[in-house]
Amino acid sequence: MTGFGGLSGSDLMLAEVGVIVALTALFAWLAGLVVRGLMRRENPQLAFAAQRLAIAVVVAVGAVLAIQELGVGPAALLLVIGLLAFAAILAVRVPLEKEGARFFAGIYSPFKVGDTIRVAGHAGRVIEINAMTTILLSEDDHRMIAFPNSTFLGQPVENLTPHAWKEVVVPITLAGSVDLAEFENAMLKSLSKLRLRLDPRFPPIFTVRSRSAQGSDVVLTVMVRRPEDREPVLAEVNLRVSEELARGRAAPPKPSAPSTTRPRDLS
Amino acid sequence: MAKMRLLVNTQTPLVQFLRNPAGARSPAWPAEVDLTRLKEGADYRFSPGGVTRMVYPLIRRLTSEGGLEEAHWVSLNPNAPSTVRLPGMTLHHVGIDPERMAGYGTTKEAIWATAHGIVGKGSSEGLFWTDDATEYTFYNRTTAMRIRELDADLDFDLFYIHDFQQLPVGQMLGTLKPKLFRWHIPFDVASIPDSWRPIFRRYLSAYDRIVVSSDRYRRELERLGHRSDVVRLYPYIDPAEYQIRPGAAEVQAVCEKFGIPRKATVGLVVARMDPTKGQDRALEALADVKVALPDLRLVFVGNGSFSSSKGGVGLSKSERWRARLEERARVAGVSDRVLFTGHVTQAELDALYARSDFTILPSVNEGFGLVVVESWIHRRPALVTDRAGVAELIEDGENGLLFDPDHPTALARQMRRIVQDDGALRRRLVEGGRRSARACSLETAARQEREVFEHLVEA
Repeated sequence: MTGFGGLSGSDLMLAEVGVIVALTALFAWLAGLVVRGLMRRENPQLAFAAQRLAIAVVVAVGAVLAIQELGVGPAALLLVIGLLAFAAILAVRVPLEKEGARFFAGIYSPFKVGDTIRVAGHAGRVIEINAMTTILLSEDDHRMIAFPNSTFLGQPVENLTPHAWKEVVVPITLAGSVDLAEFENAMLKSLSKLRLRLDPRFPPIFTVRSRSAQGSDVVLTVMVRRPEDREPVLAEVNLRVSEELARGRAAPPKPSAPSTTRPRDLS
Repeated sequence: MAKMRLLVNTQTPLVQFLRNPAGARSPAWPAEVDLTRLKEGADYRFSPGGVTRMVYPLIRRLTSEGGLEEAHWVSLNPNAPSTVRLPGMTLHHVGIDPERMAGYGTTKEAIWATAHGIVGKGSSEGLFWTDDATEYTFYNRTTAMRIRELDADLDFDLFYIHDFQQLPVGQMLGTLKPKLFRWHIPFDVASIPDSWRPIFRRYLSAYDRIVVSSDRYRRELERLGHRSDVVRLYPYIDPAEYQIRPGAAEVQAVCEKFGIPRKATVGLVVARMDPTKGQDRALEALADVKVALPDLRLVFVGNGSFSSSKGGVGLSKSERWRARLEERARVAGVSDRVLFTGHVTQAELDALYARSDFTILPSVNEGFGLVVVESWIHRRPALVTDRAGVAELIEDGENGLLFDPDHPTALARQMRRIVQDDGALRRRLVEGGRRSARACSLETAARQEREVFEHLVEA
């Protein structure tokens, strides 16, 4: 049996699925662009996550439409997807909550490792921020106090570190294809234009938290001159980081490794 | 202890390659070169200065004593093969493009000039916010990344980072392994702009231990607010590298080559051609004594550093300074009493020490002053600026004669003192210098450095 334009029913169905896939890809790309544009002044990591989420939602809707086109009932499909999502959320609820708390704390929390803070009646030096907890060392150096990261979203936190208010910390994830030295160089040049708003004693500094072939986790720290500059400086730094990331600076080829690497002599 | 793998990082490379007229990393060089297959003098030469005098002998000594399994040395050397092998050691060269090199050079010269008190700290206040300073950061980041890549393959036990050019490397390495930093140039908190202090503290705190060349610098680091471990180790040389008593024919040859009169009294100034080295102060003193000491001649040995040479960072500071010195000598009417030899070979230098009657270190500011130790091992009395780190080892009239370089009459007085001496002062200075030289010998230093290494690696 042939249908429209001489195509069989199954051919037509596949063509329609193809169109849905193409449109989904187009809308996903557009959604990514729109979200990135809207979040230009937000933290680059957060903007990236939101961009990925927007793309994922569009892709999910497209997938549902495409599968429906293949003859699977939408109600049954949605039920299966819903049950899978519910099970997944139940399984990872606690880690997800903690990871979410850590993610947002990493971007928005007003302290970092090394700072002295007071929270929930305890004061101490932050010695670790991991996926689940933030660990404080008591002021007498004798006790470790662990707080679930979610604590910091629901409790007032006091940072007792001198000049802590000056610090604007921006975590950045660089893909392995980005040349860290070039990126840092471009950012330092860019940020020197904000010098009037920044403490002259503390030029911006990058700290590499981890580095592998896949990429680098770095932290950019700038110190503002006045408390009221924190928010606008943060937005401006986020914008400049996002723009620089969008430019993309390719890493140069690595020099060849020495050929005489030998096993260690542990004698 | 188990043998350790050491990573050394200096700005100045151990060897400079002569055969590469193209400038940039020439395809003529393969990525990896065996130095033992090249010819010293034709293909390469050892960089003059402390790197060759100190770090290289130290590594060789520690390797021969069995303390090092292998040593890797990362330095700036744009006109060189990427990797150079020599016995017991591998050199790794970092290159950055000429535009970045210019910015880096400007920044590190500014740091250097400020630390030496040549420029007022007010003019350097905003240095770390300039575009040039981003190239200083770029160079250090590139170096740190290269070191991290090597570490991933070689698993070093200790990172030994040298001098102010490389100061940010410790923070940039981001490794928990022990990091040792040696500060070579003068360090005086008063000469450092206020805005630099947090930067210096931040970078210095990334190291587990800091080595300085004098007790004075250790106290200055405390004044800066640096709280971690600081140890004073005097710089050193290996006396075995010197021919203490060259033959008469060699001495005569060098005198003929440079036109040193047979009967002249010779004061030898061995220093890079640079304003901080204070050759101008020696000229002023010479003018002061030209009537009283008509036979006195000053011989200036040395040219530019790696940075100021054409093969290095590309500045021409040394040529400009020499021209100014020659002009000053002409104005002071002592042109016929001074000689500029430029760079000399080690054999020629030994012969010049042998020919000299005394040596002068006239520096305006000097991290240490190893030439004084050279003078001691050559058994020559040393007239030493009181602004040098080595000055804290000197007792005036016992193992050297001290002077304030800002008062030419003080140096002139010491010149008269040594030239008109009946012999007793000279003998005392020579004997005192010989004893003091032991504190600055490779023998002593290798033991002390090994203790520092072990303290960090085995802590």
